[in-house]
Amino acid sequence: MAQTPPAIGGRVSRRDFLKLMAAAGTVMTFTPFVDWGKFLPNPVSSQGERAKAELADGTVANVNTFQVNHSEVIIYPKSDDPVLNQEAFRTWQLIRLPTELGGDRNDASAFRAYSMICLHLWCLWKYWPEEGRKRGECPCHGSLYDPLTGLSFAGPASLQGPPSNVLPKLDLEIDSNGDILILPPTWDPNANGIVGYGRYLNV
Amino acid sequence: MGATLTYENSFVRFVRWVYAGVDRTLFMGMKFTFPGRFVSPLGFLGMLTFIMFIILGITGALLMLWYEPILDRAWSSVENINDTIPYGFHMRNIHYHASNAMVMIALLHMYYQYFSGRYKIRNEILWVTGIILGVLTILEAFTGYDIIFSERAELAISIAASLTNSIPVLGPQMREAFFGAGFHDFILRFYAFHVFLLPIAMLGLMVVHFPRFLVFDVPMVMAVSGAVTLTGGVFPVGLGLPFEPQTPPGLTVPEWYLTGLYAFLRTQYDKFVTGVAWPGLFIFALLIVPFIDKYKKFSWKDRPIVTAIGITSLAQIIVTTYWGFYIDPDRNKALLERLVIDPIFFYTVMILLVPLSFGFTYMIIKLAKHAEANAKLQPKKAPKGAINISQKWLYVLFITLLAFQVYLNISAYYAVLQGMKNYSLFIIGIIMLVFAAMFHIYRYGRTRVKAPPPKPTPPAPFRPAAAPKPAPTTTTAPQKPMAAPPTVTARVSSEQMAQLAQQQQQQQKHAASEGGGDGSAKTGQTFDRAQPTSAASKEGQDKKTL
Repeated sequence: MAQTPPAIGGRVSRRDFLKLMAAAGTVMTFTPFVDWGKFLPNPVSSQGERAKAELADGTVANVNTFQVNHSEVIIYPKSDDPVLNQEAFRTWQLIRLPTELGGDRNDASAFRAYSMICLHLWCLWKYWPEEGRKRGECPCHGSLYDPLTGLSFAGPASLQGPPSNVLPKLDLEIDSNGDILILPPTWDPNANGIVGYGRYLNV
Repeated sequence: MGATLTYENSFVRFVRWVYAGVDRTLFMGMKFTFPGRFVSPLGFLGMLTFIMFIILGITGALLMLWYEPILDRAWSSVENINDTIPYGFHMRNIHYHASNAMVMIALLHMYYQYFSGRYKIRNEILWVTGIILGVLTILEAFTGYDIIFSERAELAISIAASLTNSIPVLGPQMREAFFGAGFHDFILRFYAFHVFLLPIAMLGLMVVHFPRFLVFDVPMVMAVSGAVTLTGGVFPVGLGLPFEPQTPPGLTVPEWYLTGLYAFLRTQYDKFVTGVAWPGLFIFALLIVPFIDKYKKFSWKDRPIVTAIGITSLAQIIVTTYWGFYIDPDRNKALLERLVIDPIFFYTVMILLVPLSFGFTYMIIKLAKHAEANAKLQPKKAPKGAINISQKWLYVLFITLLAFQVYLNISAYYAVLQGMKNYSLFIIGIIMLVFAAMFHIYRYGRTRVKAPPPKPTPPAPFRPAAAPKPAPTTTTAPQKPMAAPPTVTARVSSEQMAQLAQQQQQQQKHAASEGGGDGSAKTGQTFDRAQPTSAASKEGQDKKTL
């Protein structure tokens, strides 16, 4: 074995070749397991139909009864399993804007539905209708959200680069009875946004 | 039968047989030492961390029988444990307080090893595995308090998941893989981490981390366990409010070992930098510190820069931990105003702490060296006289403590009957402390019993000077038979030396006859038939290695 190393372009020794084969065999044996990593994440399910915006008391939100400058929690997508409906990632704030922002119009433009997961550290923020506030506030680190656009205008979430400074939203529609419907969303930063991550404004 | 000097029944023979069998296993590769006297608790901190781990394992396994890691039932199952399951309150409180104690003792252990310089020169692997174990301990404690799924737990889970999400490039994938896609997954997976994955990883690391010599001090273990139990009685942990997705939670502060991190997060600066990069940097600095410390000496006094860095880190940990707890109590102010810590103020304080800590270290080292020099100048003081209790009073004390135990047992029983769970937990803590005291007295009594008789038959007439001397030797030497030998021998004059040797010979003969002539079995268990010289030298060795 006291051979001098082969020159470039020289022949590979028998022993080195054997080692190479063994290494290749090992790699080939364990390659299929890489894909098994897909076992870990939860597969995403999407919903194709428009759903009614059901409130906590079981009634459907209606344009004619929903107060101006008011907010409610809605669950979307709503599951048959009551446990999964307690999922914070499925909670949304349905807000009817205050009058000065056009909340007394009787159409979908008076409403907003934003993910309640704060973009900073995923606590649940909430809309405060009091005079002088009229904004979403997060209890954890104090991020403040503009109800009109979902943009964070103060606090740590506002300092995050886009798209992590604008709340994901749901598109709404109103049917002939005045009930509020939720259009099937596209979970993409350029469309409805990604819960916990954010959305690009005005694309 | 009459021919053998020792009485050995079949049980003793069975135990010997088992011992001989176990001797061939890995477990016996570790040397356990049961010291025969009180030793500084600082050397025990590592062992105590492990004891806390064992207590947590036992109580945790029992809590698993009742806990349900499902969104809507997690909190109520803990409430059930706390309020209706008999002794569930006790289990939960011991589990909670032992977890805090484990984090605290592990931290103290780390700083003790750091300042005493034991972490370098061939101990680097122990140090590195210790740091990883420390991080895992905090993660273990963190996942534990999250799976209650109270309001506070929900906030903590959210923060953990979103911090993972904030890691550049791989963050979202990592979050999906480790935590899943929502709180239902988070809580189930945190539970899996808490009860299985992290403890298994910790056990694996512990195999590497254990030194070959372990000192196991029964009274110390009992006293610390008793203190944990007692604390559980005095400060029972609450349940918090169950998390309701409809009503967003109010302001909460995390557990004390995370408030430092929380303070950084509250400076509004980028969450990846404050929540992942800073703590990561701190852990990395801890990992490499033994490779940077190039001092040849071990004492903290001889390693000024390293000591100063340690003091700086301690100061910063204390300041940030306290700062994280503080929230402006004025409810009229806006939330943002109450919560946000001004980053300029915060980081200025952090930076100012560096020169302050270096100055403080300089001063302390100067003072310590000065005191050392002064002590050298002055004549050596005689060592403090140990408490000397006569045999009679030893028995009186023991019986008093036993009676106290009986009283405490009755009190604890009635406290449970009356539904005063925290009071019973408190009393049980005291019972454990009393046990620690009793064991100590027992050990003290044993050393006295085993001491050579106070008036041995005057050995020989040819040494008349030795005859009046036995009194001092019997009071000093046998009292601390396992104390470091040099101090004992140093004090013994040359003429006493001969006497001492004679006594030892006698004792050895005595011990040999007691051990049934089996000298090899004896060396393994120094705590049992303790033989002053061998045990003392062994202990000296242990103290060095620990």
